[in-house]
Amino acid sequence: MSQDQPRKPMAERIWDFFASVKLSFFLLLLLAVMSIAGTLIPQKEGAAAYVRAYGEAGWRLISAIGLNDLYHAPWFVLIMALLAANLVICSINRLSLTTRILGKDPVAEAGSMRKPKESFTLSGEPASNLDKARQVLERLVGASAQAQDQGRTVLFAQRGGWSRFGVYVVHTSVLVIMAGALVGNFWGYGGYVNIPVGSTVDHIILDNGQARPLGFSLHLDKFNVAFYPNGMPSEYRSEVTFLEGGKPVQKSTLIVNDPAEYKGIDFYQSSYGNDLKTVEVDLIRPDGAKQRLTLEARKINELPGGAKAAIQGWRERVQMGAMYDGPVARILYQEAKGEPQAYTAFKPGVKMPQSGPLKFEIVKVQTEAYSGLQVKYDPGVWFIWVGCTLMVIGFFIAFYFSHRKVWLRLSPAGQGRTKLEIAGATNKNRQGLARLITRLSHELGGGPKKAE
Amino acid sequence: MEALSNQILVAVTFTFLAASVLYLCHWAFKSKAFGWAASGVTWAALAALTLAIILRWVASHQMGIGHAPFSNLFESLVFFAWTIAAIYLIIELSTWMRTIGSFAVPLAFLSMLYALTLDPAIKPLLPALKSNWLIAHVITCFLGYAGFAVSAALGAMYLATGQSKDPASPRALVLDNLIYQTVVVGFILLTAGIVTGSIWANSAWGTYWSWDPKETWSLITWLVYASLLHSRFMRGWQGKRMAVFSLVGFGCVLFTYFGVNLLLSGLHSYATGK
Repeated sequence: MSQDQPRKPMAERIWDFFASVKLSFFLLLLLAVMSIAGTLIPQKEGAAAYVRAYGEAGWRLISAIGLNDLYHAPWFVLIMALLAANLVICSINRLSLTTRILGKDPVAEAGSMRKPKESFTLSGEPASNLDKARQVLERLVGASAQAQDQGRTVLFAQRGGWSRFGVYVVHTSVLVIMAGALVGNFWGYGGYVNIPVGSTVDHIILDNGQARPLGFSLHLDKFNVAFYPNGMPSEYRSEVTFLEGGKPVQKSTLIVNDPAEYKGIDFYQSSYGNDLKTVEVDLIRPDGAKQRLTLEARKINELPGGAKAAIQGWRERVQMGAMYDGPVARILYQEAKGEPQAYTAFKPGVKMPQSGPLKFEIVKVQTEAYSGLQVKYDPGVWFIWVGCTLMVIGFFIAFYFSHRKVWLRLSPAGQGRTKLEIAGATNKNRQGLARLITRLSHELGGGPKKAE
Repeated sequence: MEALSNQILVAVTFTFLAASVLYLCHWAFKSKAFGWAASGVTWAALAALTLAIILRWVASHQMGIGHAPFSNLFESLVFFAWTIAAIYLIIELSTWMRTIGSFAVPLAFLSMLYALTLDPAIKPLLPALKSNWLIAHVITCFLGYAGFAVSAALGAMYLATGQSKDPASPRALVLDNLIYQTVVVGFILLTAGIVTGSIWANSAWGTYWSWDPKETWSLITWLVYASLLHSRFMRGWQGKRMAVFSLVGFGCVLFTYFGVNLLLSGLHSYATGK
């Protein structure tokens, strides 16, 4: 017979799939396991590092699955999206159940009393005890409803029904946090900028390597490192001025843990160092003729006679065992009529292999201090803080408040006495309910019973 | 004053050892006298530990590099021991089940013992750690860790004392509920710890989440405990399963706390200023 039952429609089956707690379980633990993988495999390293550690084939596998940037891999994002869908659908399913529970008619509930937990007799007819019972119940629990059941009177009251919404507050908070991350991903950006002391910049370098204009400019007035007596650095401090159209509009001090904000963009003290400013080199031709050149960093230097030169790279100190120890510069040089040729310049007086007909010797290096600033624009960050706050509030509601129902039944016990029974139900914290029932019983004149 | 604080810490370590032995004797011999002695010794250790932490704080100010004593592994281990002892004693006061002490107090002892192997010198704060969020972050995280530690101790006790043979007995039910309560305390505080950590990271590094191994492992721990709570709420898991789950969860806590630093270092450095 069961074979004749029509299969559920597709949409309903998909719905049921997403509504299952098993799926939540599976996704939570899958997310945990995948995150573990991400902490074991180094993230966002260069290809060479992976080839060294896992071999050529290993690297191909890693890059194919995206394990080198696991937390941003499409399938990892998909697991999170599935978890979000699961959360939404579970919550919608349960929400209708919750509203049904909270919407129950109290009089009808009064008529469906649970098994009594306490029972004792009082002097006086049930009718004479009813008012006191109702007063105590309403004081300790809440508004009461009344039902008659075969000559017996049942009083019903409940408290904390709203706490059933705590779980939805928590689930919503997770979605708000995920939304904040998405907003930050789509509309935010991050990057850095290195500003030499006394210089002005009007663009930053984004995390993907592209330049992005700021729309205003930023001048580094001063950079200072302070030290503890034992030599440990105690503070990095950049003093900056924000300029609009060349006019100063805001002065700010940046230290670690205390960023500056301008037009919604945050600037963080992140690093510092020395950058190359100029290199003085001797250009030595095959015939021994020497020419002194001053090359500026980060530009193409036009030289007398129509030649051009640029500094491609620079290291303050390179050690090559006994062969060499000193500064090294990579210079791209082009004669007035010729092809560009790359040379490596060393300090004078050392025998190093030459890569072309010319030889360059480093005479003097000038560096300048720069301050490295992390730059961030993230319109989603407020979602995160709202989500976090909601989550903590939701936890307190969900864990520390419960929906308690209490029934009192008064029935004639003969000889003009009343039999009073107390029953209760709760969605969590049974101990709390037990204490409440003990207290009710105590106040209603039940014998002083010790709680276990 | 720093030296005095360190001497007290050594004494406290062995006081925790003595307390652990007394709790075990109490359990083994079912003797009330041992129980009272164990409690007294633990209270004394907690008081001395509090004093040592305060002295260390004062000493750092006298050295001109004043900061709350929560800035490195040594100080965090000392504080971890303090929180375990404090949470355990609160449970003891409300349940009078001293057998729990046989499982919880040794954890405080081990934490102190590990601390003693490290350099106790008071060092100035790195620029990255100079933040008011340091105190909020460390206190919430370690209270959370301690909540989980005590829940694992309860889980171990649940299994070791054979409660699963009669999971409906009052004692088993009390233990089961305590495991749940301590996990909830730990879970809320871990959440608060992750939140304060990300607020701090946002002001120090400009990003509230960067999938750094420590962050990721705290999230893994959070996911495991979230599963535990869902299994209890939605599937009614209790007793033995809760006990085992609390031990697995504490394994994640330990890895977040120690494993990341010991095994996964080199992938990421917390130091700024490159």
